[in-house]
Amino acid sequence: MAETETESGLKIVDAFDLEPDLRALLRPGELVEGIGGQYHHLPRYFYEIPSHEAARQIRVTPHFGLNEFLLVDLKEAARIRAFPRYVPCAIRILAFYLERLREATGAPVHLAVNGGYRSPAHKLSVAATPHMWATAADVYKIGTVVLRERASIETYNRLIEDLTDDLYVMPYGHEIGKADDHIHVDLGYVSIVPREISEDRLEGPQPRPRFAYEERRRGDRRGWPREPLPEVLPAAAHGSPSGHDK
Amino acid sequence: MAKSPAQTPDAVDVRQSVAKAEQSLYASVLAIRGRHEIERLGIAFYDAETTLQWSYNADLAFHAASTMKLAVLLAVFRQYTRGELTLDEPVHVRNKFVSIYDRKPYMLDINRDTEGEIYDHLGRTMSVKQLAYYMITCSSNFATNLLVDVVGVPVIQTALDELKIDGIRVLRGVEDHGAFEAGLNNEVTANGLLKLLRLVAEGKAYGEEASAQMREILLDQRYKSGIPAGLPQAARVAHKTGNISTVHHDAGIVYLEGRKPYVLVILTQFSSETGRTTAVADVSRDIYECLAGMNGG
Ligand SMILES: [Zn+2]
Repeated sequence: MAETETESGLKIVDAFDLEPDLRALLRPGELVEGIGGQYHHLPRYFYEIPSHEAARQIRVTPHFGLNEFLLVDLKEAARIRAFPRYVPCAIRILAFYLERLREATGAPVHLAVNGGYRSPAHKLSVAATPHMWATAADVYKIGTVVLRERASIETYNRLIEDLTDDLYVMPYGHEIGKADDHIHVDLGYVSIVPREISEDRLEGPQPRPRFAYEERRRGDRRGWPREPLPEVLPAAAHGSPSGHDK
Repeated sequence: MAKSPAQTPDAVDVRQSVAKAEQSLYASVLAIRGRHEIERLGIAFYDAETTLQWSYNADLAFHAASTMKLAVLLAVFRQYTRGELTLDEPVHVRNKFVSIYDRKPYMLDINRDTEGEIYDHLGRTMSVKQLAYYMITCSSNFATNLLVDVVGVPVIQTALDELKIDGIRVLRGVEDHGAFEAGLNNEVTANGLLKLLRLVAEGKAYGEEASAQMREILLDQRYKSGIPAGLPQAARVAHKTGNISTVHHDAGIVYLEGRKPYVLVILTQFSSETGRTTAVADVSRDIYECLAGMNGG
């Protein structure tokens, strides 16, 4: 990782400012009903991903590329599949949890097609599902294990439940609301307002589009010199020196 | 569609030879039927070169087996021509389907041997065009169900209705046991399949471009024990077979050097399960020989 040049942050857009056809598909702020009869507001702030190349290069966490959350087939609306593409900012939180899962399993975690972000126009978006918030993931394979049997699905479900209370895990089963060929995890209906965004704006298209560039949080990506950190913590608590880069 | 030749001596000759051909065909088909102990037999045939049209029980309905995949192919190209689908669009290769009868999910009984390349794509995507190719050339049930999902059963029926193809009824995908037990089955008649393939042969199935693409896929058919087995090596056949337990079908467009193609549909049903049978190939051979005889060859 000898990257020293400054990366520009991802562009964040307010979906109310997007062109009408996109806005109609993303339906920012709209209330949608979930399977249990609860209503939720759809997300409003999205990362704009300019190209396929960018989607492939941008890593949300060390082991998850942005493109992995955008894998869809023709069930997704054609415009949503075309670049520039948009994904709710909460994707970052989902990726953080998937990275924890990857650490716990020690093996690559593979998201299914249509198993990451799904727009409200996606054919599988029949009711409010956290997939529409980019806070749900369908994992179909961990390492070399294809998750098709009760045993493997329930084993990993248990592992995830032990890992965190924040993730909901769908039980194994064939009916609606259960899963038998993947593991579904979600964080519920989380919308985030990125720190760069100001909320004192009307919900409607503005004469001047509002957007911001997310600042890169990690110093090395902002071009800060990367020097060894002072020893604040006792070395034993941290293990090896590489433990800094957690 | 029948040609009405003028009353020249030539035309009289042609009519006499047609009548003779029809009689001899009828006799040999009856012989084949008896020899193979075929319970039900349906044949429809149209030759673009001589305009000879001939049929036997052509409106008798059979279990469609895999010949229903022709209707799925037609529906795919309908959506393509209408701009509702592009052929390179990705489709998630996932073995999970919903019964049209009770909306219950079901899976296909598949493995690498039966599905080959598609099985290797499980969890990933394949394009509409690739799936159409495997649905026809390898008779992939998996590809078929994925495409039935993409276009939807109602669109398949709409395509058949639009092109005035009677005699093909598609109600469900493959291995939908819930629907099967409820008596919802796909059916075909020889005339229905003949009509469909004639449109494809003549460039009238959603235009010449779509028809040409369908013919190209059909020409790559890998199962050749039906119609092609009764023909000379040089013949090229754009066709689709249908085989399960007691039925053995084949429906195709036959291209022979130096003449216009002919379209032939042979549907057979046996009283008990039969493995290999040469019945379809035998009918195919008789028809070829009959035509060859008419051409003075
Ligand atoms: Zn899911």
